[in-house]
Amino acid sequence: MAEDAYWYEAAFVAGITNALNVAADGLITPAGALIEPVDETAAKENTQSVFAEIRDFYGEPEVPVVFRVMARDPIYLASFWKALRHAFSDNALPRRVKDALAFAVSLTTRSAFGTTFHLAQMRRRGVTDAGVMEVVGVTQMFSSYTKIADTLQLQPDMGHIAPADSSGVPGQ
Amino acid sequence: MPTVRIRDASEYPKEIQQLFERSKEWFNFDFSQPPAMSRVMAWDLEFGAPHGVAMRRAAQPGEFSRAEKEMVAAVVSGVNACDY
Repeated sequence: MAEDAYWYEAAFVAGITNALNVAADGLITPAGALIEPVDETAAKENTQSVFAEIRDFYGEPEVPVVFRVMARDPIYLASFWKALRHAFSDNALPRRVKDALAFAVSLTTRSAFGTTFHLAQMRRRGVTDAGVMEVVGVTQMFSSYTKIADTLQLQPDMGHIAPADSSGVPGQ
Repeated sequence: MPTVRIRDASEYPKEIQQLFERSKEWFNFDFSQPPAMSRVMAWDLEFGAPHGVAMRRAAQPGEFSRAEKEMVAAVVSGVNACDY
Protein backbone atom coordinates (compact mmCIF):
# COMPACT_ATOMS: atom_id res chain seq x y z
CA MET A 1 0.00 0.00 0.00
CA ALA A 2 2.67 2.43 -1.07
CA GLU A 3 0.42 4.68 -3.12
CA ASP A 4 -0.80 7.81 -1.40
CA ALA A 5 -4.38 7.16 -2.56
CA TYR A 6 -4.77 4.53 0.17
CA TRP A 7 -3.71 6.97 2.84
CA TYR A 8 -5.85 9.85 1.58
CA GLU A 9 -8.84 7.54 1.57
CA ALA A 10 -8.08 6.22 5.07
CA ALA A 11 -7.75 9.79 6.37
CA PHE A 12 -11.04 10.85 4.81
CA VAL A 13 -12.79 7.81 6.32
CA ALA A 14 -11.32 8.62 9.75
CA GLY A 15 -12.42 12.24 9.50
CA ILE A 16 -15.98 11.76 8.31
CA THR A 17 -16.50 8.84 10.72
CA ASN A 18 -15.53 11.08 13.59
CA ALA A 19 -17.86 13.78 12.29
CA LEU A 20 -20.82 11.39 12.19
CA ASN A 21 -19.98 9.95 15.61
CA VAL A 22 -19.76 13.41 17.22
CA ALA A 23 -23.33 14.20 16.23
CA ALA A 24 -24.70 10.71 16.92
CA ASP A 25 -23.13 10.33 20.36
CA GLY A 26 -23.68 13.93 21.34
CA LEU A 27 -27.22 14.53 20.18
CA ILE A 28 -28.90 11.15 20.59
CA THR A 29 -29.37 10.00 24.15
CA PRO A 30 -31.09 6.90 25.54
CA ALA A 31 -34.04 9.19 26.26
CA GLY A 32 -34.20 10.28 22.65
CA ALA A 33 -32.72 12.84 20.28
CA LEU A 34 -31.96 16.26 21.78
CA ILE A 35 -33.08 17.83 18.51
CA GLU A 36 -36.24 16.57 16.88
CA PRO A 37 -35.35 14.33 13.90
CA VAL A 38 -37.08 14.81 10.58
CA ASP A 39 -39.76 12.19 10.02
CA GLU A 40 -38.78 9.85 7.19
CA THR A 41 -42.19 9.96 5.58
CA ALA A 42 -42.82 13.66 6.08
CA ALA A 43 -39.50 14.87 4.61
CA LYS A 44 -39.44 16.93 1.43
CA GLU A 45 -38.70 15.21 -1.87
CA ASN A 46 -34.97 16.01 -2.01
CA THR A 47 -34.46 14.78 1.53
CA GLN A 48 -36.53 11.67 0.81
CA SER A 49 -34.12 10.96 -2.00
CA VAL A 50 -31.11 11.28 0.32
CA PHE A 51 -32.85 9.07 2.90
CA ALA A 52 -33.41 6.44 0.21
CA GLU A 53 -29.72 6.49 -0.69
CA ILE A 54 -28.76 6.14 2.99
CA ARG A 55 -31.07 3.15 3.49
CA ASP A 56 -29.72 1.55 0.35
CA PHE A 57 -26.05 2.24 1.12
CA TYR A 58 -26.28 0.71 4.59
CA GLY A 59 -28.83 -1.98 3.74
CA GLU A 60 -30.99 -0.79 6.61
CA PRO A 61 -34.79 -0.52 6.57
CA GLU A 62 -34.63 2.78 8.48
CA VAL A 63 -32.43 5.85 8.24
CA PRO A 64 -30.18 6.12 11.33
CA VAL A 65 -31.55 8.86 13.58
CA VAL A 66 -28.40 10.96 13.32
CA PHE A 67 -29.05 11.55 9.62
CA ARG A 68 -32.65 12.49 10.36
CA VAL A 69 -31.42 15.06 12.86
CA MET A 70 -28.97 16.42 10.29
CA ALA A 71 -31.89 16.63 7.85
CA ARG A 72 -33.10 19.67 9.78
CA ASP A 73 -30.86 21.41 7.25
CA PRO A 74 -31.49 19.47 4.03
CA ILE A 75 -28.67 21.16 2.09
CA TYR A 76 -26.20 20.39 4.86
CA LEU A 77 -27.36 16.75 5.04
CA ALA A 78 -27.16 16.32 1.27
CA SER A 79 -23.59 17.66 1.14
CA PHE A 80 -22.45 15.72 4.20
CA TRP A 81 -23.98 12.53 2.85
CA LYS A 82 -22.34 13.01 -0.56
CA ALA A 83 -18.93 13.34 1.10
CA LEU A 84 -19.55 10.38 3.42
CA ARG A 85 -20.83 8.12 0.67
CA HIS A 86 -17.83 8.97 -1.50
CA ALA A 87 -15.40 8.37 1.38
CA PHE A 88 -16.87 4.92 2.08
CA SER A 89 -17.35 3.77 -1.50
CA ASP A 90 -15.09 1.15 -3.06
CA ASN A 91 -12.08 2.87 -4.53
CA ALA A 92 -8.37 2.19 -3.91
CA LEU A 93 -9.52 0.76 -0.59
CA PRO A 94 -12.53 -1.56 -0.60
CA ARG A 95 -15.54 -0.70 1.51
CA ARG A 96 -14.87 -3.70 3.74
CA VAL A 97 -11.53 -2.17 4.81
CA LYS A 98 -13.09 1.26 5.18
CA ASP A 99 -15.71 -0.16 7.55
CA ALA A 100 -12.89 -1.76 9.54
CA LEU A 101 -11.08 1.59 9.72
CA ALA A 102 -14.27 3.33 10.84
CA PHE A 103 -14.82 0.64 13.46
CA ALA A 104 -11.26 1.14 14.75
CA VAL A 105 -11.71 4.92 14.84
CA SER A 106 -15.02 4.52 16.71
CA LEU A 107 -13.55 2.04 19.20
CA THR A 108 -10.56 4.30 19.84
CA THR A 109 -12.72 7.38 20.37
CA ARG A 110 -15.18 5.43 22.56
CA SER A 111 -18.06 6.17 20.24
CA ALA A 112 -20.93 3.88 21.23
CA PHE A 113 -22.82 4.79 18.06
CA GLY A 114 -19.87 4.32 15.71
CA THR A 115 -18.69 1.08 17.29
CA THR A 116 -22.12 -0.54 17.00
CA PHE A 117 -22.88 0.92 13.60
CA HIS A 118 -19.60 -0.01 11.89
CA LEU A 119 -19.47 -3.41 13.58
CA ALA A 120 -22.81 -4.14 11.92
CA GLN A 121 -21.48 -2.87 8.59
CA MET A 122 -18.37 -5.06 8.87
CA ARG A 123 -20.54 -8.09 9.53
CA ARG A 124 -22.73 -7.14 6.60
CA ARG A 125 -19.60 -7.30 4.42
CA GLY A 126 -18.87 -10.83 5.66
CA VAL A 127 -16.29 -10.12 8.36
CA THR A 128 -16.55 -12.84 11.02
CA ASP A 129 -16.01 -12.50 14.78
CA ALA A 130 -12.41 -13.62 14.19
CA GLY A 131 -11.90 -10.81 11.70
CA VAL A 132 -13.49 -8.31 14.07
CA MET A 133 -11.14 -9.46 16.81
CA GLU A 134 -8.18 -8.92 14.47
CA VAL A 135 -9.18 -5.27 14.16
CA VAL A 136 -9.83 -5.05 17.92
CA GLY A 137 -6.36 -6.50 18.57
CA VAL A 138 -4.57 -4.00 16.30
CA THR A 139 -6.65 -1.18 17.79
CA GLN A 140 -5.73 -2.22 21.31
CA MET A 141 -2.04 -2.73 20.66
CA PHE A 142 -1.60 0.54 18.83
CA SER A 143 -3.61 2.33 21.51
CA SER A 144 -0.94 0.98 23.82
CA TYR A 145 2.01 1.91 21.57
CA THR A 146 0.74 5.43 21.03
CA LYS A 147 0.41 6.09 24.77
CA ILE A 148 3.88 4.68 25.47
CA ALA A 149 5.34 6.79 22.66
CA ASP A 150 3.52 9.91 23.84
CA THR A 151 4.44 9.41 27.48
CA LEU A 152 8.10 9.14 26.52
CA GLN A 153 7.69 11.84 23.85
CA LEU A 154 9.38 9.69 21.22
CA GLN A 155 10.15 11.36 17.93
CA PRO A 156 9.01 9.72 14.68
CA ASP A 157 11.89 7.65 13.30
CA MET A 158 10.28 5.34 10.77
CA GLY A 159 8.79 7.68 8.21
CA HIS A 160 11.74 7.24 5.86
CA ILE A 161 11.37 3.48 5.47
CA ALA A 162 8.41 3.77 3.07
CA PRO A 163 8.95 4.96 -0.50
CA ALA A 164 7.35 8.30 -1.39
CA ASP A 165 4.61 8.33 -4.02
CA SER A 166 5.79 10.71 -6.72
CA SER A 167 2.64 10.48 -8.84
CA GLY A 168 0.52 13.58 -9.37
CA VAL A 169 -2.92 14.63 -8.23
CA PRO A 170 -5.76 12.45 -9.61
CA GLY A 171 -7.40 13.96 -12.66
CA GLN A 172 -4.47 16.22 -13.52
CA MET B 1 12.75 15.60 23.13
CA PRO B 2 12.15 12.17 24.63
CA THR B 3 11.77 12.10 28.40
CA VAL B 4 14.29 9.25 28.56
CA ARG B 5 17.60 8.67 26.79
CA ILE B 6 16.91 6.16 24.04
CA ARG B 7 19.79 3.74 24.35
CA ASP B 8 21.91 2.83 21.39
CA ALA B 9 21.36 -0.79 20.30
CA SER B 10 24.97 -1.59 21.24
CA GLU B 11 24.19 -0.78 24.90
CA TYR B 12 21.76 -3.69 25.12
CA PRO B 13 22.82 -7.26 26.00
CA LYS B 14 23.68 -9.59 23.12
CA GLU B 15 20.44 -11.60 23.36
CA ILE B 16 18.39 -8.43 23.02
CA GLN B 17 20.47 -7.34 20.04
CA GLN B 18 19.40 -10.59 18.42
CA LEU B 19 15.79 -9.54 18.98
CA PHE B 20 16.56 -6.26 17.25
CA GLU B 21 17.66 -8.27 14.23
CA ARG B 22 14.19 -9.79 14.17
CA SER B 23 12.61 -6.34 14.02
CA LYS B 24 14.54 -5.78 10.76
CA GLU B 25 12.83 -8.87 9.38
CA TRP B 26 9.43 -7.77 10.69
CA PHE B 27 9.71 -4.36 9.06
CA ASN B 28 11.69 -5.71 6.11
CA PHE B 29 14.09 -2.80 6.48
CA ASP B 30 17.76 -2.69 7.40
CA PHE B 31 17.77 -0.06 10.15
CA SER B 32 21.08 1.49 11.21
CA GLN B 33 19.44 1.61 14.66
CA PRO B 34 16.30 -0.29 15.63
CA PRO B 35 13.20 1.95 15.89
CA ALA B 36 13.04 3.87 19.16
CA MET B 37 9.93 1.94 20.14
CA SER B 38 11.77 -1.39 19.76
CA ARG B 39 14.52 -0.11 22.01
CA VAL B 40 11.97 1.17 24.54
CA MET B 41 10.17 -2.16 24.67
CA ALA B 42 13.49 -3.97 25.10
CA TRP B 43 14.14 -1.97 28.27
CA ASP B 44 11.98 -4.42 30.22
CA LEU B 45 11.47 -7.66 28.36
CA GLU B 46 9.01 -8.96 30.92
CA PHE B 47 6.68 -6.29 29.55
CA GLY B 48 8.08 -5.78 26.08
CA ALA B 49 8.28 -9.41 25.01
CA PRO B 50 4.64 -10.41 25.64
CA HIS B 51 3.49 -7.00 24.40
CA GLY B 52 5.43 -7.65 21.18
CA VAL B 53 4.01 -11.14 20.83
CA ALA B 54 0.48 -9.77 21.25
CA MET B 55 1.21 -7.07 18.69
CA ARG B 56 2.61 -9.50 16.12
CA ARG B 57 -0.27 -11.87 16.78
CA ALA B 58 -2.76 -9.05 16.15
CA ALA B 59 -0.89 -7.84 13.06
CA GLN B 60 -0.42 -11.17 11.32
CA PRO B 61 -2.48 -11.76 8.17
CA GLY B 62 -5.92 -13.25 8.75
CA GLU B 63 -9.19 -12.02 7.36
CA PHE B 64 -7.37 -8.71 6.95
CA SER B 65 -3.93 -8.48 5.35
CA ARG B 66 -0.95 -7.10 7.20
CA ALA B 67 -1.08 -3.98 5.03
CA GLU B 68 -4.74 -3.44 5.89
CA LYS B 69 -3.89 -3.83 9.56
CA GLU B 70 -1.07 -1.29 9.25
CA MET B 71 -3.72 1.07 7.96
CA VAL B 72 -5.91 0.34 10.98
CA ALA B 73 -2.87 1.09 13.15
CA ALA B 74 -2.34 4.36 11.30
CA VAL B 75 -5.89 5.62 11.88
CA VAL B 76 -5.77 4.54 15.53
CA SER B 77 -2.52 6.50 15.90
CA GLY B 78 -4.10 9.41 14.07
CA VAL B 79 -7.18 9.66 16.27
CA ASN B 80 -4.93 9.25 19.30
CA ALA B 81 -3.00 12.26 17.93
CA CYS B 82 0.25 10.34 18.17
CA ASP B 83 3.08 11.67 15.97
CA TYR B 84 5.27 8.64 16.51
